[in-house]
Amino acid sequence: MTRTSLAGALRSPLTFSVLAGLVIGALFLVGTGADPLTAYEAVVTGALGGDGIGATLTTTTGVLGLALALAVPLRAGLINLGGDGQMVLGGITAAVTGLNSPLPAPLTVVLALLAGTAAGAGYAVLAALCENRLGVPLLVSSLLLSYPAVSLASYLARYPLKEPGSSLPQTRALPDGVALPAFGDSTVTLGLVLVALAAAAYWFTDRRTALGYEIRMTGLNPRFSAYAGVERRGLTLRLMSVSGGLAGLVGAIGVLSFPYRFVDGSLTAPGYTWTGLTAALLAGAAPLGTVIAAFFFAVLQVGGLAMERTTEVPRELTQVLQAIVIVFLAARLRFPRRLFRKRVTV
Amino acid sequence: MTPPPPESELAVELRGITKRFPGTLANDAVDLSVRRGEIHALMGENGAGKSTLMSVLYGMERPDAGTIRVEGRDVTFASPSAAMAAGLGMVHQSFKLFDSLTVAENVVYAAEPRRFGLVDRAAARRRVRELAEEHGLAVDPDARVGELPVGLRQRVEILKLLHRGARTLILDEPTAVLTPAEADALFAVLKSLTAQGRTVVLVTHKLREVLEGSDRVTVLRDGRVVARLVTADTTADEIAAAMTGRAVELDRVHASGTPGEAILSVEALGTDAVHGVDLGVRAGEIVGIAGVAGNGQSELIGALAGLRPVTAGRVTLRGEDITHASAAERRAKGLAYVPEDRHAVGTAPAATVAENLAMGHHRTSLSSRGLLPPAAVRAHARALVERFGVKAATTEVPASALSGGNLQKLLIGRELAHDAPLLLVEQPTRGVDIGAIQNIHDQLIAYRDAGHAVLLVSAELSEIRGLADRVLVMYEGRVAASYTREEADERTLGLAMAGAAAPAPEAAEATD
Repeated sequence: MTRTSLAGALRSPLTFSVLAGLVIGALFLVGTGADPLTAYEAVVTGALGGDGIGATLTTTTGVLGLALALAVPLRAGLINLGGDGQMVLGGITAAVTGLNSPLPAPLTVVLALLAGTAAGAGYAVLAALCENRLGVPLLVSSLLLSYPAVSLASYLARYPLKEPGSSLPQTRALPDGVALPAFGDSTVTLGLVLVALAAAAYWFTDRRTALGYEIRMTGLNPRFSAYAGVERRGLTLRLMSVSGGLAGLVGAIGVLSFPYRFVDGSLTAPGYTWTGLTAALLAGAAPLGTVIAAFFFAVLQVGGLAMERTTEVPRELTQVLQAIVIVFLAARLRFPRRLFRKRVTV
Repeated sequence: MTPPPPESELAVELRGITKRFPGTLANDAVDLSVRRGEIHALMGENGAGKSTLMSVLYGMERPDAGTIRVEGRDVTFASPSAAMAAGLGMVHQSFKLFDSLTVAENVVYAAEPRRFGLVDRAAARRRVRELAEEHGLAVDPDARVGELPVGLRQRVEILKLLHRGARTLILDEPTAVLTPAEADALFAVLKSLTAQGRTVVLVTHKLREVLEGSDRVTVLRDGRVVARLVTADTTADEIAAAMTGRAVELDRVHASGTPGEAILSVEALGTDAVHGVDLGVRAGEIVGIAGVAGNGQSELIGALAGLRPVTAGRVTLRGEDITHASAAERRAKGLAYVPEDRHAVGTAPAATVAENLAMGHHRTSLSSRGLLPPAAVRAHARALVERFGVKAATTEVPASALSGGNLQKLLIGRELAHDAPLLLVEQPTRGVDIGAIQNIHDQLIAYRDAGHAVLLVSAELSEIRGLADRVLVMYEGRVAASYTREEADERTLGLAMAGAAAPAPEAAEATD
């Protein structure tokens, strides 16, 4: 049983894609005269070594948070392309809350997290309502609603909420103590724990609850679940609120971590939304797979920078790797069965 | 245009055809000899290898071993067009026609008569008229194909093959969508074609039409030829036994039920495709709805199941008004439903057998406080698989790995397990093996006898007559006739299905 599942995992398209990506990446490196082993080693040590692990975990917080946000509706076959807008709204709402809350600092942090989550959720629900009530496909409504949200936050950070005297498009810094506790002197905060808890909750819902079952079946065959009485509009609304809520939470975490303010563009610049969407798609929105894929991309992202510093191989190589993995995965290539025949019983 | 008369006595000769797919041997050294000028029936249950064999003959699949001779010449077809060039032609189960084009345009498509390099439309129309007259296939060359009834579309398909000079016609389940009268007309056409020296290979699982319409029969089972019979010297029982490998009781008429209180009552129901339908189903009763596909049966059942909007009328289930209730509310009030399309609606083929069996039970018997323990799902699946004889390697294989009959058993088992007072069943045995058909019929009768109401829609008259206590016939969205079990003989039903019945009393009173 375990041997079979191990062989199954080795034969999965994911394994093939990752290995193919590494091999083709190595060919690229050889072609440019670089040593692939050195480059890959630089990626790994840069991302997972003592100097890089903090940055990797911080990046993981964002990538995994957005990956979960997009995986939740994707599990039911719904695609939320509005992660940027929902995240940024969550961020600016958390900043406004943090700057204006009369409560003591720890309670303000909680309030800011909740407010950011609520803002993202509310905005995603708007996209869901556009589909349910007006028939605008979710893919379109969520994407198009994203732009005004990003622009609104940008406007707020540049004009009404701009830090007086600063030349940067950013709000004032949050009051002392209004920040997520960090681990040691790293940039890793409690936000990582919150995102990990969200991942655990997602896993539990997916595998162990009736709702998770309905979500999975809807994703596999929406007509089947509708036939059995699953109400699609209600499900869309609920999944989008959770999705937007998670994106908003990531925005709030971003604001409540260094540099403890809303800086225009700082939430969207790292591309959490698209990397997260890629990770969720890669894993077919399966909970565990989404976590692994998100971490993998965070490693590539941080390790790529380190590689550029130490080996003069441009970090774009990691994007090439990412692209190859995705292309192979989309083609669903896998190792031929005969390589595993001895172990697999059909 | 007429081909030179072939010398060989055999139109098609397959020898030792073997075709292997991963995990199955679809054809195992199959020999098939089809004589020129005969109607040759190729029979077998689902998965017996009929379709594979025809795909090999028609150039869609390459055989792993074996030879093909067409009209005495050895051939290997790389594609269906090569097969067509050699004089073969196939009418697929789902027609390959352009709905928005005319009959003439469809017939000459890809082999158009040309004049100065342009399509000669007048010649095309003339050609279609000639062909139609010559073979008794009356159809208007200028009609749009999309507006033709199914029986005529099939004629267009046949005309297309004749236009391209097909000398051997392969028809895959040609009567599945036809009324009895249309099927009779088809066989008249096929007989006239063979009288002119053309050859017909008929792929089917319907015993009656094979007995009435064919000259010889080849029966496949598990990829092998198990019987070669001359139709005149055989019986339905002999063919059925060859197909299943055991004796089967055909067209059994089950004992009548003992109807009790009213469970479902439908008054003047209207949807986009249903008009003024009245009907009632009582406990302990099976009401059958007969009709040619596309006369509103699917829409009626969809509306009753809560999947299509109701525009007029009233539906009550055990006295409660459910006219505008959601699918979930109807199920909660006591409705279960076996839909017509088991792949697209009734199951999620990519999900496991256990997951498919849990649907509908996942909020009731299997869960507590929103949790759905995997162990409960598995135990439920094992119990149902056992009780309904679903053959699956384990309950964790995807449902797509099951054969049609087993998938249907899974679906029916899941819905019967709700123990709902009302069961809606559409086409319970379409594409299901004879062996499984008996099992499914027995299950439905047992369910009725346990005091449940069953509303059955089926295109198989023998099924309706064998199971139903009362029979309604739908025609153009209305209940055109209503018969007791004794009145519902094949001829009466056939006429009503073709729209020739005297209006049923309740249908006559109903308003739009």
